[in-house]
Amino acid sequence: MDRHALDPPEALVNMVDQTWQYLTDPANWQGSEGIVVLLVQQLLLSVTALAAAAAVGLPLALWLGHIGRGGFLAINVTNIGRAIPTFALLAILVTTSWPGVVTFGPYGRAGISTLIALTLFALPPIVTSANVGVREVPDAVKESARGMGMTGGQLFWRVELPLALPLVVSGLRLALVQVWATATIAALVAGPGLGRIITDGFANTDYGKGIGGAVVVAVVAFVLELLGGAAERIADPSRRARSRSRHGARAVASVSA
Amino acid sequence: MRKGRLLAAAMIAGALFLAGCGGSSGDSGAGKSQHGTVNISGQNFAEAQIMAQIYATVLRANGYTPSIKLVDTRDVYMQQFPGSVDVVPEYVSGIVDFLITQDKGPNAKLPTSADPNTVISQGKSYLDKQGITLLDPSEATDHNAFFVTDKYSKDHNVTKLSDLKGKSVVLAAASDCKDRYDCAVGLEQTYGITITKILPLGFASQQTYDSVKSNESQLGETSTTDATLSHNNLFLLDDDKDAQPSQNLVPAVSTDFLNANPEVATILNKVMAAMTTRDLTELNFDVTVNRQSPAVVAQNWVQSAR
Repeated sequence: MDRHALDPPEALVNMVDQTWQYLTDPANWQGSEGIVVLLVQQLLLSVTALAAAAAVGLPLALWLGHIGRGGFLAINVTNIGRAIPTFALLAILVTTSWPGVVTFGPYGRAGISTLIALTLFALPPIVTSANVGVREVPDAVKESARGMGMTGGQLFWRVELPLALPLVVSGLRLALVQVWATATIAALVAGPGLGRIITDGFANTDYGKGIGGAVVVAVVAFVLELLGGAAERIADPSRRARSRSRHGARAVASVSA
Repeated sequence: MRKGRLLAAAMIAGALFLAGCGGSSGDSGAGKSQHGTVNISGQNFAEAQIMAQIYATVLRANGYTPSIKLVDTRDVYMQQFPGSVDVVPEYVSGIVDFLITQDKGPNAKLPTSADPNTVISQGKSYLDKQGITLLDPSEATDHNAFFVTDKYSKDHNVTKLSDLKGKSVVLAAASDCKDRYDCAVGLEQTYGITITKILPLGFASQQTYDSVKSNESQLGETSTTDATLSHNNLFLLDDDKDAQPSQNLVPAVSTDFLNANPEVATILNKVMAAMTTRDLTELNFDVTVNRQSPAVVAQNWVQSAR
């Protein structure tokens, strides 16, 4: 068996070596098909899908959380985005006459189809987290807010939303990291992004390139995760309250207690 | 892995021993049904499904127990071939190019001859190194081919690839097309076609057909045995300058397995000698258009070929 070029240890060493060579060659990072351009394309695709999902999902999830009804339904309906494989959805969308494979500005070939598929994929964590975040605000807190004479709107903006914010941000963070990694499927319909490097690499038996592309996607996902974590800490009201009290503010919002 | 093979060898030896005992009681046919298992693998598309089923049919008729496991890409089954895979329905340049690329890297120079035996002799050292033997190549061949719509063919008076000389086209093709001589490179160098853009939509995939039909691209990549084109008002262009390297069908067999079962060469060579490109196209048609099962299609062909 030792004559086989693909015996695991040797093959693994070769792949790591090829991947390193691919990633350290500056030529692979530059140009119109270089890693940098593809990375920016994919980031744009992910952020747009996230923004669209947030614009649709957040108001709905927060409002249903506020009125304390329909959350179960909303969560389950948006979970369709999790149940249907994103790629299957994309495959169906590109066969339609619209949006089909219409090129959409910087989002490339089949740009609208890709954005729709990714937006539906981003919805479940956003809707679930935001809805649960608002619903989980303790009744006692809401009671006392009402007792202080707050209207429904005041209750939502001054009490429920600040307390739900860490979960809302956590949902956005989860959605962003998921969408970022999944956006590589755009390559399967000749769209933009780092998926192109991965599919090209494996199609040409160029493992260094294929794995190199995957490594870049993973590293960026990790960075996005860290940034999301930082945003989540900033959004935490008890942390904000603590820092305010450290700075000598006398009245700490009692709702965060 | 070695342990697994020892175990498998022990099991086969046991089976043979039992078969030998059975045979001694008189019926020579009983011994014939105990040659042991043949693991067939290959890529999972209609033509490979059909060929795998044809191999399985004739091997079963000769007393082997075939087991078929098809996977998406050559990279996957080549990890286990030879080893836990014994036989693969292959294409001459397909496997030779793969082994050379694996050994020499993605920029290696690949054979371009249209003669299968030239390509096999050029790839011999790589095949030997891997422990794979190619049996006799069939006359049936399935190489890359390119199509336009019937309308484009009429409007621009194009029936062969050289008619596209000097024209600018968008090409819908497999992701590996860009740097391949049997794809974009050959079209540009040998035929003088200007390819303005390559859309990596897959080899003979629905996306590629749709892209050409909608005139997003003008030229699409498929194979010489594509049975669906005329149904879709698509027109296959003739490779009139022989830019395609040999992609004759050929059985690839593990050398160790072949040494242990030399009669497998005779069995499979006989099948490959009977196979033609026309037969292959018809079999593909039965599977991809008429939606028949590859196993049924294969059995019918083997029966008619006998």
